[in-house]
Amino acid sequence: MTELSPAEKKKERKLIVIWSVTFLVLFPFLVVLGYMMRLNQAERIHLGMDTFYTLLTLHGLGMAGILFSISFAALWYLIATRYARLKTGIGYFVYALIVIGFSLLAFATLVGKFGAGWYVLYPLPFKGTFWAPWATGLACASLLTMGVAWLVGIIHVVSNLAREYGGFTNLLGWQYFKKGGVKRELPPVVMITTISTVPGVIAFLTGAVMLVMYVLQIFEPTLNYDPLLMKNMVMFFGHTLVNITLYCCTGWVYCLLPEFTGRPWKSDKIVVLSWNATFIFILFAYFHHLYMDFAQPVALQYAGQFISYLSAVPATAVTLFGLLAQLYHSKIKWSAVPLSFLAGGAGWAIGGFAAVVDSTIAVNTVLHNTTWVPAHFHTYMLMGVVFFIFGFIFYISHTKEELDKDILGRVGLWIFAISGHSFIATFYRGGLRSIPRRYSDYSGIPIEHVHQTGMFLAFMAVIFITIIFVALVIIYTALFKKFAKRRHALVMEPAAA
Amino acid sequence: MIYFPTLLFSIQAYSATTAFIAGTLIVATVLFIIFTSSKGSDDKLAEKHKVYHVRDRYFLILTLAIIVGLIISLRFLPYEQYQGKPAEEVTVVAMQWAWKMAPGISNATPEAFTGESEITLPANKLIRFVVTSQDVNHGFGIYSPEGLLIAQTQAMPQYKNELEHKFTEPGDYHILCMEYCGMPHAYMIGTIHVK
Repeated sequence: MTELSPAEKKKERKLIVIWSVTFLVLFPFLVVLGYMMRLNQAERIHLGMDTFYTLLTLHGLGMAGILFSISFAALWYLIATRYARLKTGIGYFVYALIVIGFSLLAFATLVGKFGAGWYVLYPLPFKGTFWAPWATGLACASLLTMGVAWLVGIIHVVSNLAREYGGFTNLLGWQYFKKGGVKRELPPVVMITTISTVPGVIAFLTGAVMLVMYVLQIFEPTLNYDPLLMKNMVMFFGHTLVNITLYCCTGWVYCLLPEFTGRPWKSDKIVVLSWNATFIFILFAYFHHLYMDFAQPVALQYAGQFISYLSAVPATAVTLFGLLAQLYHSKIKWSAVPLSFLAGGAGWAIGGFAAVVDSTIAVNTVLHNTTWVPAHFHTYMLMGVVFFIFGFIFYISHTKEELDKDILGRVGLWIFAISGHSFIATFYRGGLRSIPRRYSDYSGIPIEHVHQTGMFLAFMAVIFITIIFVALVIIYTALFKKFAKRRHALVMEPAAA
Repeated sequence: MIYFPTLLFSIQAYSATTAFIAGTLIVATVLFIIFTSSKGSDDKLAEKHKVYHVRDRYFLILTLAIIVGLIISLRFLPYEQYQGKPAEEVTVVAMQWAWKMAPGISNATPEAFTGESEITLPANKLIRFVVTSQDVNHGFGIYSPEGLLIAQTQAMPQYKNELEHKFTEPGDYHILCMEYCGMPHAYMIGTIHVK
């Protein structure tokens, strides 16, 4: 691609700064919701069951939404400034739709009391609800708005990349297996962007169809869909969204870490093969959410376990080993960026392993819908994705020299890692002690020891989340000092350029 | 023979704990090695090759672990065709927010079916629970008297899930809802008296 002019670069920088600040504002707000839920489960405050489930819904959908959005925005920025020309106007359009979608979701939940959980499991939004039908409609509209934003953004990015690199199959790296060698190297971030987002298109379209079916039922209550089909649809949508969020993050790790280690990280046959396999695994791993639906064909249950196990191969043997090969004996200075990337890799490995354990059908029998599940995805998202995002935001807000001098950010990240893993340990422990998830409180459980254990672990979680807030204050101080310093120019040279 | 104090964890939870702790320790060890290696050699390419050499072995070990893991774990599936011939059958219908249970297979519609939230069943006999729902999705989770989740299946409208379980110890077992089903989800309780 032709080099961007300084004015064009500035435009792209402004967009990613706006994205980053939006994320940094919304993220702690959603953490507060989680804090309140754990306080309620610890019986330290009394939210009421309706409020609890309302907060649960906003926390889950909101987090999944903003984490994917910022992850995609980060890839957008890297691609627009380095690999293919993108229209900044479309970037702002995507941003505006996400903000509108999030606002509608907040209204549907906080005002309309919509509380069907992130997965709006059919037919729950239509039976025995404590919220009005308009809130269901608004929640569907909010998710459709975000879905349209993501679809527009993804299609724009992938189509422009395909034009730049001579066709879609070249984005998948298939040219590495053709005779005659590779004419133009494929940067891993370009391939990962494609492989992470294209399954997203399929998932978002599936989710959109499902949401339209919901909207139709609001207007025609006699409609009755197959609940098993609907569950397959929502799990495919939800699992894929969360899964690709992390894969998007690995894209910028491949792209940015070599700037700190001085070692190239390039595409080759193994990297291409592993990411193409990941493409398939992303689409079919979701079956492991339906093990306890005994009506689901057994072949799909087998497939769920088989694919979940196999997905560990490219993730660990290629990407995580690649990360280690970048860092081992690299004489790297552990500034906030590589520190975040390594911590994120560790969170991904631990959270992923917890998922593989739970994707074992025989084990899922006693862990399904216990707090083991939030343990897994909090490790994956909070200690994986959020670390990668922090690493990226440190990268775009600091120069290389500033990163080397920074102590505050590093201290904050260490506290965040320790308190974050400790908080999540309360979920793991709860899962192993059969504490059910999505319980507003445990006082209705007739087994006293389950009630007491659930309450105690929730209180421990509250303590650790309090420390997470301390960590966030420190990290935010480090970040916002730099954002404020450059608020007029908004031109921040890449950290390691 | 290894002694498992069943009061604390189920055998599956023990397996999960062992595997998870082992996995976390491996990650921690690798992190330690990476951190302490940062002041190493200048030959960056050689260092990279060392890691990739380890990767080849890791790949073999991982492949082996996956094959062994699949062979062992897929022998213990909860689906009814793997359990044997049941001695008794129980119809279970979930509703917002209660359990209806009665002995035998009922031909009534879920809405018309009448049953109680408590039932008495024999110990050491294979019981088949035929589970459905009359409204939304619920989760039929059986908790031992000590408070361990020992078996579960989803209760889904329009579908019947067949769960087979043998209660080896007499006592009062509780049913907790394992799928979010509306506001009082955490208060949807049933009881199985095993004698």
